[in-house]
Amino acid sequence: MTQGPPEPAIEVNDLTVAYREQPVLWDVDLRIRAGALTAIVGPNGAGKTTLVRAILGLVAPAAGQVRILGQPLARVRGEVAYVPQRGTVDWDFPTSVLDVVLMGTYGRLGWFRRPGRREREDARSALEKVDMEAFADRQIRQLSGGQQQRVFLARALVQDARIHLMDEPFQGVDARTERAIVDVLSELRSRGDTVVAVHHALQTVPEYFDDVVLLNVRRVASGPVPEVFTEENLRVTYGGRVPFLARGEGPGAPASESASGPALDPRPDPPTGARE
Amino acid sequence: MTSQDWEVLVLAVVVAVTCALPGVYLVLRRMALLSDAISHSILLGIVLAFFWVRDLNSPVLVLAAGATGVLMVAMVEALHRTRLVKEDAAIALVFPALFSLAVLLISRHAGDVHLDVDAVLLGEIAFAPFRRWVVGGIDLGPRALWMMLGILAANLLFLLSLHKEMKVATFDAGLAAAMGFSPVLLHYAFMSLVSVTAVGAFDAVGSILVVALMIAPPAAARLLTDRLGLLLPLAAGIAAGSAALGFFGAILLDASIAGSMASAAGLVFAGVLLGAPERGIVAEVRRRREQRLEFAVRMLLIHLLNHEGGPREAEENRADHLAGHLRWSRDFARRVVRRAVREGQLERRGGEGLALTPLGREVARHVMTR
Amino acid sequence: MLAEFLSDYTLRVVALGAGALGALAGAMGCFAVLRRQSLLGDAIAHAALPGIVLAFMLTGLRTTPVLVLGAALAGWLGTLAILAIVRGGRLPEDTALGIVLSVFFGFGLVLLTFVQQRAGAAQAGLDTFLFGQAATLLAADVVFIAATGLVCALVTMLFWKEFKLLAFDADYALTVGVPVRRIDLLLTGLLVLAIVVGLQTVGVVLMSALVVAPAAAARQWTDGLGAMVLLAGLLGGISGMAGAAISATGSGIPTGPVVVLVASAIVAFSLALSPRRGLLAEALRRARLRRRHREAGGGRPPVGEEVP
Repeated sequence: MTQGPPEPAIEVNDLTVAYREQPVLWDVDLRIRAGALTAIVGPNGAGKTTLVRAILGLVAPAAGQVRILGQPLARVRGEVAYVPQRGTVDWDFPTSVLDVVLMGTYGRLGWFRRPGRREREDARSALEKVDMEAFADRQIRQLSGGQQQRVFLARALVQDARIHLMDEPFQGVDARTERAIVDVLSELRSRGDTVVAVHHALQTVPEYFDDVVLLNVRRVASGPVPEVFTEENLRVTYGGRVPFLARGEGPGAPASESASGPALDPRPDPPTGARE
Repeated sequence: MTSQDWEVLVLAVVVAVTCALPGVYLVLRRMALLSDAISHSILLGIVLAFFWVRDLNSPVLVLAAGATGVLMVAMVEALHRTRLVKEDAAIALVFPALFSLAVLLISRHAGDVHLDVDAVLLGEIAFAPFRRWVVGGIDLGPRALWMMLGILAANLLFLLSLHKEMKVATFDAGLAAAMGFSPVLLHYAFMSLVSVTAVGAFDAVGSILVVALMIAPPAAARLLTDRLGLLLPLAAGIAAGSAALGFFGAILLDASIAGSMASAAGLVFAGVLLGAPERGIVAEVRRRREQRLEFAVRMLLIHLLNHEGGPREAEENRADHLAGHLRWSRDFARRVVRRAVREGQLERRGGEGLALTPLGREVARHVMTR
Repeated sequence: MLAEFLSDYTLRVVALGAGALGALAGAMGCFAVLRRQSLLGDAIAHAALPGIVLAFMLTGLRTTPVLVLGAALAGWLGTLAILAIVRGGRLPEDTALGIVLSVFFGFGLVLLTFVQQRAGAAQAGLDTFLFGQAATLLAADVVFIAATGLVCALVTMLFWKEFKLLAFDADYALTVGVPVRRIDLLLTGLLVLAIVVGLQTVGVVLMSALVVAPAAAARQWTDGLGAMVLLAGLLGGISGMAGAAISATGSGIPTGPVVVLVASAIVAFSLALSPRRGLLAEALRRARLRRRHREAGGGRPPVGEEVP
């Protein structure tokens, strides 16, 4: 669909995921360009996290398939790294920062082997990349939210994967962490890695990402940001209620609901949050 | 059956119903295991109060036991609030300690407590007819029955008069607070009710089987209805049936009545879990099979709609494509297509080609915009 | 008492056995507590009762391995029942735990009273399984407990990485290729094992406390999982040994409650006095902060402010 290598990093075909009778993702077709930074954008309940989890094999799809680097996931596990949302784990778990990062090496270590000196060095250098080397021996409970996020990022980095899936890496982090994540992202891109991140802040999409996927249960649009990240597409994605107009178009960029004009949404009254 | 047997049966039914009513809210509020914790810790209150008043029939025992249950709930919450342990661990730390202390006290003073460890676990429902309530020479029946009826009345009074408040506090504590009544106060009032109920039932069926009577019938009722108004009478009915079943089972096997009541409650629950008309496991499996087909039809329609008029239409919208692309088996794909065609949503277009009918397009649009 | 301990063979056997099973339960309990499964142990222990009685009814034997096998099977069955109840999504997990715990236990009591009416179950001594009686431990039982403990320790060491990752972040574990479901089965299996070997000594009613309490206490003293497991083993061992020794010296004192009280005392001590997390240390830290704040000329003390 766009220029770039013909083989996509991730290929999603006809993916449908349903919890009980409620469809969360409907018939999604998607090609994620290799070597690019892609944002997944959409309203609450659009299935963004579910899409990432389905790509990772964490939820079973009702139909459809996912291929990574042209292969089924099981064959290329080692090439895929996952950065989950911070809130999914217990930060009072008795373990240190370095230890969490070392968990990123468990996949390649295989059964029965313990992380050794090499793995430790890898982990420390991953911590350095996210500006957290001073915290290596800290108990994880003592970290701020942004620091927790950076530790998760380091854990993914140490996996040495080529594809990185991140679930809201920028959610609620401080400016310093945001900077650190952006630096890591651009380093990954310069290495030729692929990054897919669920993203909330629409105004930073053009600055941080190359490609964007607009999702609302169905795939609304996907492709390079300049082509796809349009007001029209956003309106369709957000059901007529765009939280921000993209790239400062129009005078009152952040003014949201009133600027959206007549709702394009066929639903008379969108049940906000009901799908969550 | 002798008249004593009848009295035991009636008592069993009353105990079960009395437990099931607050049990409904325990299940709904995800506090099922607090009943376990409460029913264990009340023993300490009973024992300590006995040492003080030296009379097993004194109402002080009931009050002290109820207070211990509420105190235990407060202790669990305080411990949880330190954030040093998680809530489940807090429960698992507090009640065994209180219960252990009680059991030790009983075994140390076995001679004068007249409460033995068997009674703690099994209750004494079989002996209930021997303790009569006699007023002015008139025998009014077993004391335990009257006590249980009193507690049942209290339960009914509480749950009926505070129905609205309990409902709101259960489903939306924030709204409850905004509406001007304190969820915390209501919570502790409810916990007192559970404690007093546990004390009454403890006498009859022992400390652990109370849990079965409080949780299993409401859980079974929960599988049968979503309506709160129906939940209470249904749970009470199931409880009464389980109690009767358990009573006759015990007579038949010459085994513990309390244990048999718990087993019967479990059996009835298992039966409902398997066979409930909508939420039962059997119905679920059957529906899932049907749903899968139905779901697949809708998916097929949407798939076709998405690719209709697109550049890859000829390639995507083919029957033989489905097996590969939608991860369906060839056989399943054939069944899906057949069903969609039968329902008039799809028509074959020469060989393997598929096309939506106007009806099919409508259905697909409707599903997508839902 | 020490002299008595050293000279009395029975007491030594009993204390060793109780110490070993306390250590085992304490160590395995760490994973249960960290995975918020503290009450699963309670359900498994109670669910084991019918298995014990049925094993006796079927074989007529009351040797430890036979009864433990019955207990383990019933405990497993209980765990599966919990999964089946939760599966439909209509009932919450705590309800499932409560039902399994009380119904299995009730059924166990039916069987127990049934056996007692017929064959002299008093001689079978099955009722000691309710609250535990350390004095019934034989040298062979101690060997059995120790062997089970060694197996559990070995398996835990082999699968240490996987267990740790499962407890901390199961989803992530799946993405790095850990077969999470099988590892979960293995870990739960070890928990069942650790619980059922302790039932004769501590009893089905209170065994869960020996799973939770040492872990909760150990957590207060260390921030490393390895150290926590070792320490919980040690504290569990101490609780078991002390409880068994105290109950074996008195006449007819059930062991379970004594063990639980010892373990609870250790927990209370740890919560109050552990240097980093303890309540006393926390209070002192707050007071110091408030004082410093006041000296700095600030207005109100920073109530409720997070202390990192």
